[in-house]
Amino acid sequence: MDKNIFCTPNPVNDKEALDALLRDKRGQQYYDEMKRLKVDTAALQKLLNDTCRSRIRTWLEICAHCGMCADACAFYLSNDKNPEQVPSYKIQSTLGEIVRQKGNVDNAFMRYAMDVAWGKCTCCNRCSLYCPFGIDMGVLMSYLRGLLFSQGFVPWEMKIGSGMHRIFRAQMDVTVEDWVDTCEWMIEEYEDEWPNLKIPVDKKNADIMYTVNAREAKHYPDDIAEAALLFSIAGENWTVPSEGWEETSLAMFAGDWEGAQLQVKSVYDAMDRLKPKRMVVTECGHAYRATVIEGPYWAGLKSGKTPVTTLHYVEWVAEALRSGRLKIDPAKKIKEPVTYHDSCNYIRNGGLSHIGREIMSYIAEDFREMTPNGDHNFCCGGGGGLNGIGKYRQERNTGQKVKRDQILATGAKLVITPCHNCWDAIRDLEETYKIGIRWSFLKPLLLDMVIVPEHMKPKEE
Amino acid sequence: MFKKILFATTGTPSCDAAARVAFEMAKRYNTELFIINIFGIPSRSFSQVITDLRTGDEIDLHDDQLAKIKNKLERRYKQQIRDYNTPHEIVLTDGIPHTEILRAARKNEIDLIVMGARTSTQENTGAVNRHIVGRTLQSVARSARCPVLIIGRAAASFWGGISNIVFGTDFSKGSNQAFEFAFNLTKMFNASLHIFHAIDISSGPFEFTKNQEVIEDRIREVRGMIRKRYISKMEGYNDYEIDVWEGIPYVEIVKYARESFADLIVMAHHTKKMAPPEESVFGSNVEQVVLRSNAPVISVNHPARQKKIDNQ
Repeated sequence: MDKNIFCTPNPVNDKEALDALLRDKRGQQYYDEMKRLKVDTAALQKLLNDTCRSRIRTWLEICAHCGMCADACAFYLSNDKNPEQVPSYKIQSTLGEIVRQKGNVDNAFMRYAMDVAWGKCTCCNRCSLYCPFGIDMGVLMSYLRGLLFSQGFVPWEMKIGSGMHRIFRAQMDVTVEDWVDTCEWMIEEYEDEWPNLKIPVDKKNADIMYTVNAREAKHYPDDIAEAALLFSIAGENWTVPSEGWEETSLAMFAGDWEGAQLQVKSVYDAMDRLKPKRMVVTECGHAYRATVIEGPYWAGLKSGKTPVTTLHYVEWVAEALRSGRLKIDPAKKIKEPVTYHDSCNYIRNGGLSHIGREIMSYIAEDFREMTPNGDHNFCCGGGGGLNGIGKYRQERNTGQKVKRDQILATGAKLVITPCHNCWDAIRDLEETYKIGIRWSFLKPLLLDMVIVPEHMKPKEE
Repeated sequence: MFKKILFATTGTPSCDAAARVAFEMAKRYNTELFIINIFGIPSRSFSQVITDLRTGDEIDLHDDQLAKIKNKLERRYKQQIRDYNTPHEIVLTDGIPHTEILRAARKNEIDLIVMGARTSTQENTGAVNRHIVGRTLQSVARSARCPVLIIGRAAASFWGGISNIVFGTDFSKGSNQAFEFAFNLTKMFNASLHIFHAIDISSGPFEFTKNQEVIEDRIREVRGMIRKRYISKMEGYNDYEIDVWEGIPYVEIVKYARESFADLIVMAHHTKKMAPPEESVFGSNVEQVVLRSNAPVISVNHPARQKKIDNQ
């Protein structure tokens, strides 16, 4: 039998291996190799013994198979209530089985578990909200992903994503030099209209350290400039770190526990180095979850909290609007019907539902809630890494039907999506279903509405 | 005057006229030519699959695919590459087109960007979906730190002797930069400079547009402004004309350029904000002029790179 080159239990740790994996078009060879990837049952058993603690075992044990979770799941609803999409079934037939079999499972089983873990669940945790026992499906599914990753059963793009974090400390191939250069570029780009704009790099003891999603440096640099403008307008004393600037974690989605720890530590190191009073993370949901909610545990911080207080971007926006540091021109409020997509990772799983509403009360005249909304909102369909996985593209598109219908029912044509993944997913949703909507982050909308202080305006001729 | 030219192309017929100019100029001024093609826009989030800008199909980012795209571009410009024998470099990238054009221009210290103006939406299905059509030209012309030469109609693609340069001004800050550039070119080619302003009567108050005397007073006033602002800086160079007409600005500039036998139109593209996607195709005077004029149009907005060239 040929030796596996790409699909192995080993993570990608160097550029050469990463480039080789990238050259394997859509992971064709990778997935072929996966069919003959041997399950190291002894290693799996050891990992279970070391990491599968009473909490997970109890949850698996007490699940009453009551089915209360079924209607909570966007995939169950958009797949004609297929019983195989019931969350409890999805976890019992995968993680439950691995635990019951004490890791004694075969290749076909592991590939089935991978299809479920990444193709039928976005870890949105909506089902947990309806479980009478409060079983946390997100934790269970993430744990399952970790087991699968340790054995090499992980979608091609997720393996790449984890490798990117290990090599670049970013989800994409953006180096520290690229990042700093992009900041400088954006100052040049905006200097005519915004003569006093600055993006301070590595400034110590600032009030705010701002971190981003690598996609902003790679594809959407204006997002960085927009953040800089809003901080400046609000008069913030802020900075970005040269290292530890990337907040996201595809490693988390991949189940790469070690990679996730490396990534989050780079951000915490920046906090230690620059000693900001607080940190603000860009409009990205999973970045918040990775760094604020899960990260402290990965990094072994006993407090369970980030080294300095960390805010999601929406929290900073609400605070700035509330305190009047950002002032909205009443004439420029959004007049048309507008709806707000609640990102699972910082709304349901981060408790910031009220913040989204507060912001809308300042900026929109005709805010239309989706039904259900807030903590009960449905996932955009692209969470948990699903957005980027080619193998499960159709599953993702089908799963988005629920979100599509939710948006349509509001009658709004503008959807505010303060999360990179959701923004992408809603854009793709429009491409697939063509329902005639627009989608936007908060930053560009706010820039259209805020009152700009005189000292920031260019001198007119 | 130009040391490095960046030709931004979709690799489709709508850029053929611009290609002719780009190669011709590179040869004539013995410059380095960078040919940039942004073949796809990010899709599927962080993954390696992107959306083809022209067809809307999904394509993969990998070496074979890149080689294929490069090969296709080389075939499209085979004749120019052979005839002009200019040193050139093909830059292929995925991303948001205007972002990548501006990034490449900055990185390679480009002196002039040459672009075509899209004339057919059918050619760019993938881009239409993402509201990109029309925005690329607008964004590049607005933000580039170097002049942007835009070739709309095929008739505008014959870059030869330059005898008549039309400089259209709206007295904005960008127009000051555009004037400096136009005047430098005029001296270089020993050409005639036609300084032109159109008084916009399409959007003014009714009382203003009704009264021809008021318009003519305004014309006299503007002629004075032109003398003060531009002629005073022309160091005695006397091959120039000043004309101020009333009408719809872009129509008047196109008419004026035709009557002046313009070989080139220089304007500033200083729209502060991007027009909404549905309007961006016809978003500004510059774009309207580009689409209608028989002469190539150079948009100049920023001083930075231009000053650097002058100092060399």
